[in-house]
Amino acid sequence: MRYEIRVEGHLSETLAKAFPELGHVVMSGQTVLFGPVVDEAHLYGLLARCQSLGLRVVEMRQLPE
Amino acid sequence: MVSPVAETDENAPGLTGPTVPCTGPLGDPFLRTRIVLPTRPATYLRRQRLVDHLDQALRTPLTLLNGAAGAGKTLLAADWAAGLRQPVAWLTVEVGDRRPGVFWAYVIQSLRACGAPASDAVEAPADATGVDQRLLAALAAELNDRDRPVVLVLDEYDRVTAPEVAEQLEFVLHHAGRGLRLVLVTRTEPLLPLHRYRAADELTEIRAAELAFTPEEAAALLELHGLSLPVPAARALVDRTRGWAAGLRLSALAALESADPELYLKEFEADRSTVADFLLAEVLKGQPEETQDLLLRVSVLERFCPGLANALTLRTDAGPILAGLHRGNAFVEYLGHSWYQLHPLFGEILRAHLRERLPGLEPELHRRAARWLRRSGFLPETLAHGAAAGDWDFAAGALVDDLAIGQLFTGLRSGDLTDLFSRMGPEARSPATDLVRAARDLSRYNLDRGLTRLRHAEEHLADDASEAAPEPAAVQLSCALLEALAARLTGCPSQAERAAEAADELRQEVPAHLLDKHPELTALLLTHLGSARLWAGRFEDARAALTTAAGAPGGASTVLPREDSMEHLALLDYLNGWPGRAERKALAAVSEAERVGLPQPSGSGIGQLVLAAVAVDRHELSRAQALIDEAARPSSGTRDPVTAAGRALATARLLLVRGKARAAVQAADPAVSAVVASPWAAGHEALVTSAAHLAEGRPDEAAEVLQGVSGDQPACAVEAAAIQVAAGRTGAAIDLLDSIRTGGRTGPAVTVRAALVRAQAAEGSGDTATARRLVAQALLDARRERLRRPFLDAGAWIRPLLAMPPLHELAAGWLTPGLPRHGEQPRPESLPPPLVAVELSGRERDVLERLARMMSTEEVAADLYVSVNTVKTHLKSVYRKLAVNRRGDAVRRARDLRLL
Repeated sequence: MRYEIRVEGHLSETLAKAFPELGHVVMSGQTVLFGPVVDEAHLYGLLARCQSLGLRVVEMRQLPE
Repeated sequence: MVSPVAETDENAPGLTGPTVPCTGPLGDPFLRTRIVLPTRPATYLRRQRLVDHLDQALRTPLTLLNGAAGAGKTLLAADWAAGLRQPVAWLTVEVGDRRPGVFWAYVIQSLRACGAPASDAVEAPADATGVDQRLLAALAAELNDRDRPVVLVLDEYDRVTAPEVAEQLEFVLHHAGRGLRLVLVTRTEPLLPLHRYRAADELTEIRAAELAFTPEEAAALLELHGLSLPVPAARALVDRTRGWAAGLRLSALAALESADPELYLKEFEADRSTVADFLLAEVLKGQPEETQDLLLRVSVLERFCPGLANALTLRTDAGPILAGLHRGNAFVEYLGHSWYQLHPLFGEILRAHLRERLPGLEPELHRRAARWLRRSGFLPETLAHGAAAGDWDFAAGALVDDLAIGQLFTGLRSGDLTDLFSRMGPEARSPATDLVRAARDLSRYNLDRGLTRLRHAEEHLADDASEAAPEPAAVQLSCALLEALAARLTGCPSQAERAAEAADELRQEVPAHLLDKHPELTALLLTHLGSARLWAGRFEDARAALTTAAGAPGGASTVLPREDSMEHLALLDYLNGWPGRAERKALAAVSEAERVGLPQPSGSGIGQLVLAAVAVDRHELSRAQALIDEAARPSSGTRDPVTAAGRALATARLLLVRGKARAAVQAADPAVSAVVASPWAAGHEALVTSAAHLAEGRPDEAAEVLQGVSGDQPACAVEAAAIQVAAGRTGAAIDLLDSIRTGGRTGPAVTVRAALVRAQAAEGSGDTATARRLVAQALLDARRERLRRPFLDAGAWIRPLLAMPPLHELAAGWLTPGLPRHGEQPRPESLPPPLVAVELSGRERDVLERLARMMSTEEVAADLYVSVNTVKTHLKSVYRKLAVNRRGDAVRRARDLRLL
């Protein structure tokens, strides 16, 4: 599965390293994290990581393969 | 401003305090920091609208305080709770509490710290993986009986992820009635049926939107930080941070560091970076170099004190830096007694910075932390950081050095420890790591691998000169424990004796406080020693070791070995022919395990097997079958010779009574390989084989089988005598019986059979008076124990005797009327109820009868003109006496016992 997670605001390079398994791109006031997600547990783990870093998730969706 | 910094003491890493017990069921030195209300910083802004709303929590069973990290939930709850007149129990949940047993151990500890529950009826659970429903029911009942409710606040409840914990919490909340007010402080929606509470108006909810700061509140908060901001400017800031408390606090700190705070905030409002990320980087940048370095390094720790922080920075300035940070209300929170923690949100972000600024340093920081924590006596934290550093030699060394290796087998931590060390790779090669691996293999009955590793560890003990090497005496004592376990599993008493002797000497060489801290080490060792002795038939020596182990102190940490020992003692009594004593001990073992919430059956399952064998002797066949089925958990104890022999004994005897001779012979073989033979196991196998021969009409073979076994087995001698009598060789039979060396320890299960053989001999030689006297004596002895089998097995000759007075009266009510034909189930109405540990009272019986009529608790209360609470109290004791935990089970058990 591939997912993209949009969070509010521009993520610094430093904090983006908290998601080493994902790529990221900053656009129009948001940061898009994207990449392969192993399973559901990983997905929820990513969400929890966003939460514990104080990030506001705006959108999350599965990408077509 | 009163600063708690005044009480800090750099040299005291430990936590002490007189008000609440410092160490919990887990011996956790940090317990105190988790069950006291967090202190509010000087810059805390009380928001009356939230406090007022939270006051509703006193009127609803459940309150939810739900919001993102840094939304100000914890401080709000703490501030509100501090103003309550009701008793407040506080618990900050940690990740390690995800196992239900650990979670409830801490909940009970926090409740106890505020004086509820007051009684000892509720013990802390002893098994991390599960909690017995009875324990929760007892806790709920205790809370329900309170006049004033307890407010229980569970902070960071989002760390509880196990659905069963939510179910258990729901159960306790429901049954505690007005006695409990639960407040969950959480980042995520808990798995409770909130809609139901909401619909019943039983839920107080404060969520993110309500927690968000209004512009006026934001202005007031900034004021506390010494920043004066007009409301419109504050509104813009609130828009930018969405009223997020942590964001506001950080922006105040960042602004204060800039030359023009107001301008700074304006620029921040226009900026588009993520709030926490940006602000934290800004605030961090404003700190002196040393402070930044310290903050990054301590981000790998859950909590820290100046000494520990110094160990990570390799400097000595942590004390003043931490005090200053706390005073400035930046990054750190004070836990009391010179311990601090990072705000969880900042911790995550700081770790991201650490990885960038000091790449590759993390393992080294964990290693330094582990060394400091070990020196200061914090074992679980030492192990966690040792594991995080991948330094397994060190972690295993610390475990062994602390004499904590027994915790891999028993106690609340065993699951966590096993998980922790399961990540250990083959590259760790120290003797201590081999001991940990050996312990893991042995606990899974993987004997060959376990023994190889144990030998390997022992051979390389001397080579271990690393700085992580534990004390030699501690290693040898750990070896002795594993040797004793291996000896038990291989049925080798001499090896167990050697291990126990070595342990006795080694105990003088290790620090006494470590032995006191780990009572499970000695309890486990003695249990294994006793089990090996029992296997070899050395009953009195076994009893000595097992009795000591069964009386070991230590609560939860020793409950498994204590239960195991008690069950072995029960088997011992059974083998000596005392079914009543055996039953009492087996039930005592079970009830002790229940009191601490161990799921049943726990341990080796010998207790169930003993009860089953007793049930066969009493001719309670379906009960025996049920008990054997209950004990027949495959994985557990299959390689344990004593358990295997116990299972073989109970199963074969039941099959025999049911007339399945061939199957009985097959089942009688315990199929274990043991170093020494077990006289009693062999004796019982021979008894079953002999009985099968008899049943199939081969008396000579039957006699021969019995000749092969040791003359020390009274039960075999009696059976051999019975065969001689049946063959008409009375003299030989009497010789056999006279040769039995009882030593005064043989109980009715043997003596009753012996008396019946003598009676048969007397009857055969025409001496009816003697026969009658002997049968009378046998009936008297058997009646107390309700031993029916010997009479059912005796044969046809006894029936006319039993029909005669006075034997008729002696047999009536428990054995007759209408003695059934051999092998036939006696008519149920002729049976007295099997033992109920304690008789039910009249009132308990009333309640039970109404339960059987499917009446609810309320209906029963109305019907009996008593309160619902009284009914619950009766129910509780009915459950206890019947050893059940559900209504349906109580009714079923009562029907089985013919109480209804």
